[in-house]
Amino acid sequence: MDTIKILLILIPALPLAATLLTAALGERVLRGRSHWPTVLAIGLSCLASLALVYQVHSGIDQARRETELAETHGEETASVGYEKVYSLWTWAAVEGAYQRPNETAWYDFHVDVTLRADPLTAIMLAMVTFVSLVVAIYSIGYMHDDPGYWRFFSYIPLFVFSMTMLVSVSNFVLLYVFWEAVGLCSYLLIGFWFQKPEAAAAGKKAFLVNRIGDFGFALGLFLLWTNYGTLNFHDVKVVEETVTVAGEEVTQTSVVPESAAVAEDAWVVGQQPGVLGQTILKSQRQLDRGEELAEGAPRYATGALATAICLLLMLGACGKSAQFPLHVWLPDAMEGPTPVSALIHAATMVTAGVYMVTRCLPLFVASEYAPQVVAAIGGFTALLAALIALTQTDLKRILAYSTISQLGYMFLGLGTVTLLSAAGAAAGMFHLFTHAFFKALLFLGAGSVMHAMGGVIDVRRFGGLRRLMPVTHWTFLFGCLALAGIFPFAGFWSKDLILVAVGEQAHQQAFGEQTRLLYSLLYIAGLFTAFLTAFYTFRAYLLTFHGEEQIPPEAGHHAHESPKSMTVPLVILAICSLGVGAFFELTGSFERFLEDAPSVAYLTAGAEEPVVEAAGTETGEHGVSHLGVAILSTVIALSGVALALLLYLGKRQWLQRLTQAMDAAMLYRLSHGKFFFDEIYMVFVVWPLRVIAWLSYLVDRVLIDGLVNLCGILPKWIGAALRPLQNGMLQFYALAMVLGLLVLIGTLLR
Amino acid sequence: MNPEIALLHNYLIVGAVLFGLGAVGFLSRRNMIVMFLCAEMMLQGVSLSLVAFSRFHNDFGGQMLVVFIIAVAACEAAIALALVLMLVRRVGKLDVAVWQSLREDNQPEFEEEKVPEEPSEKPEAWPSLARAGLTAEVSPEKTDYRRKP
Repeated sequence: MDTIKILLILIPALPLAATLLTAALGERVLRGRSHWPTVLAIGLSCLASLALVYQVHSGIDQARRETELAETHGEETASVGYEKVYSLWTWAAVEGAYQRPNETAWYDFHVDVTLRADPLTAIMLAMVTFVSLVVAIYSIGYMHDDPGYWRFFSYIPLFVFSMTMLVSVSNFVLLYVFWEAVGLCSYLLIGFWFQKPEAAAAGKKAFLVNRIGDFGFALGLFLLWTNYGTLNFHDVKVVEETVTVAGEEVTQTSVVPESAAVAEDAWVVGQQPGVLGQTILKSQRQLDRGEELAEGAPRYATGALATAICLLLMLGACGKSAQFPLHVWLPDAMEGPTPVSALIHAATMVTAGVYMVTRCLPLFVASEYAPQVVAAIGGFTALLAALIALTQTDLKRILAYSTISQLGYMFLGLGTVTLLSAAGAAAGMFHLFTHAFFKALLFLGAGSVMHAMGGVIDVRRFGGLRRLMPVTHWTFLFGCLALAGIFPFAGFWSKDLILVAVGEQAHQQAFGEQTRLLYSLLYIAGLFTAFLTAFYTFRAYLLTFHGEEQIPPEAGHHAHESPKSMTVPLVILAICSLGVGAFFELTGSFERFLEDAPSVAYLTAGAEEPVVEAAGTETGEHGVSHLGVAILSTVIALSGVALALLLYLGKRQWLQRLTQAMDAAMLYRLSHGKFFFDEIYMVFVVWPLRVIAWLSYLVDRVLIDGLVNLCGILPKWIGAALRPLQNGMLQFYALAMVLGLLVLIGTLLR
Repeated sequence: MNPEIALLHNYLIVGAVLFGLGAVGFLSRRNMIVMFLCAEMMLQGVSLSLVAFSRFHNDFGGQMLVVFIIAVAACEAAIALALVLMLVRRVGKLDVAVWQSLREDNQPEFEEEKVPEEPSEKPEAWPSLARAGLTAEVSPEKTDYRRKP
């Protein structure tokens, strides 16, 4: 078999096996050793993912050489980006499932279980498995002695399985399935300590808020299906065939079109090319160049339809990635164990929305307004969450709000993508990549503090821990510097790229006045958020590790640095959050690698070529320079840090005054109360729904149950009314007979 | 009127009266033997009608049937009286209301209403006349009732 295929199957299969093994044997046999299958499986998955990255990388190189060779021969064979798609088996096949309006032909509904390897998938797989591995090792120490130890270590690989499948499937239906699967894992792990009412409620809240987003996502998929007649991403796949070369049987692999229709450019209805497949991207690119398309060649929908699809998909992304207005579940999700917060609610699952939008970028670009909406939601959420994070006192919640804020940055980056520039997509994905490391680091650091403080997580109740926990202190500081965006830490590079992309769009000549204004506002919001980020990050850091040493009574006498199994992952992640940004940015390898993902390749190819005549494409003179933004954002981040140092280091006398002044202006309370989103939703969503539920309950109880009960009660009543007739008295019966006879005779003689 | 029909009428009327008396007796009496006799009476009323019709139509089928009825009634009497005897042995009463086994479950049992007692009054003492030549001795008790209290 193909190496890539083996790797693609192994990466999710190993964690799945670990889940089954731990679930079956954990309680009775493994007990305290329950972490072994998990760590082993995820470790191997991680190695497989790195091998996959290497394979994809060398595959791209080979493809490039072949393309160059073909061009010298004057052939047009270039495919859009690099992808390898493997069909494993057919999951669902319904023939003639759907008939389009105004058409006579019937469309098949066909879902293959297909895995794909492309740069986007490879990056996500490597990131997910690596962070999962680190977190799993950390959990050995953190979850030590928990009664649900084996349960925890059977959920974690289940999540890793779902997440790896989510990023490697090549079909919207399967994407949706695993989208729900990671949501389920999230629910199970938020409510891991289900004895705690808050944890159970938080799990339920996360699940319900996600339902809203998923409902939008599902509607988006329905629209896609009715418009494109397929839900596949791909339309070419790799097949294996055995040929005999010089008397020996050799297995050859070749890329073939998914169906005959795609091969012959003959557009038979019922066999549609994939939504994000080679065919549609190629013909759409021809269209973008202003060339005429063949009759019936596939193209993306435009106008209101495209916008509707994209906004519905974005709603799904908003739910999963906790963007405004569905951001309320993520802070509550911190009730789960801290490794879960680090893994699922900071590094991996919440980025699924970003991944999905990146994957669907060609669809978004086809719509006029969708990218701007994505950018606006991202920018607004980033600012909003940062403002809330300023005044929170729960260390994990500060980090949760910063996660929401950083996810907002990613969407802001993705929202700047147009046919003319794909820089925002690369920037958003890069931020996703670096954020995973430093946010996981920060959460694990917070977990380490929580572990030592006996479960206390309120920053007001401890302080000055830097001598007590030196390793945690230094690694947490690294994470803070990365999050604040201080040179040369990871956050600096990726955040800068996003700000540059937004800044460029603010001066984009192709846009109208209003669009430029929107991007200008978002640019300012992004810069201001950077300032706030630096401030609240260092506020949390200073409150925890500086000031007077203060240890809550819950910690007892054994407040100490965490064990090796927890500090080693911290150190690994600290090195990553120092290194990954600078390494990938300076070598430029991340962006070059990502550019070969089909969704991104379609856009970058557009950017290289002169696309639309009417649009002025020169942005260089008017746009913002990279260095300028770097200096500006560093100054802003440093001033945020400086303000935090001024307020929280030393005697904190300024803090009192500032807080009072803010309190007088209601601002403090507004931020501390999280802008009262929970309360607003309570009044405008929860209560009306409760009233409806109550009414439905009444209807069910009174009307429906009443009718059913009536059916039972009525014969009973009739029986009760007739029963006295059977009184057992012989003469009564005789009388009845006589009377009956009389009536009969009377009737006959009448 | 045809004298034949007039004769038939008379027989039929007697038959109907027999049947009606039997029915009323069956429905109103609770003594099992009397009820049985009433049933026999109804049977005889019908038999009489059959004989009368048979004679009227000059067809002996009806009279044949009546002979059978008499035979069956004799057997029936033997069985019915034996049954009554067994029932009486069980409870020591001839009252048919004692047997209510055909009653539905959970129905109140038949309770015999008590017959209201006859209002008992003191027998009126009528004044009695003394023999001739003697002074009437009237006891004040006996004449008291005339006085108003």
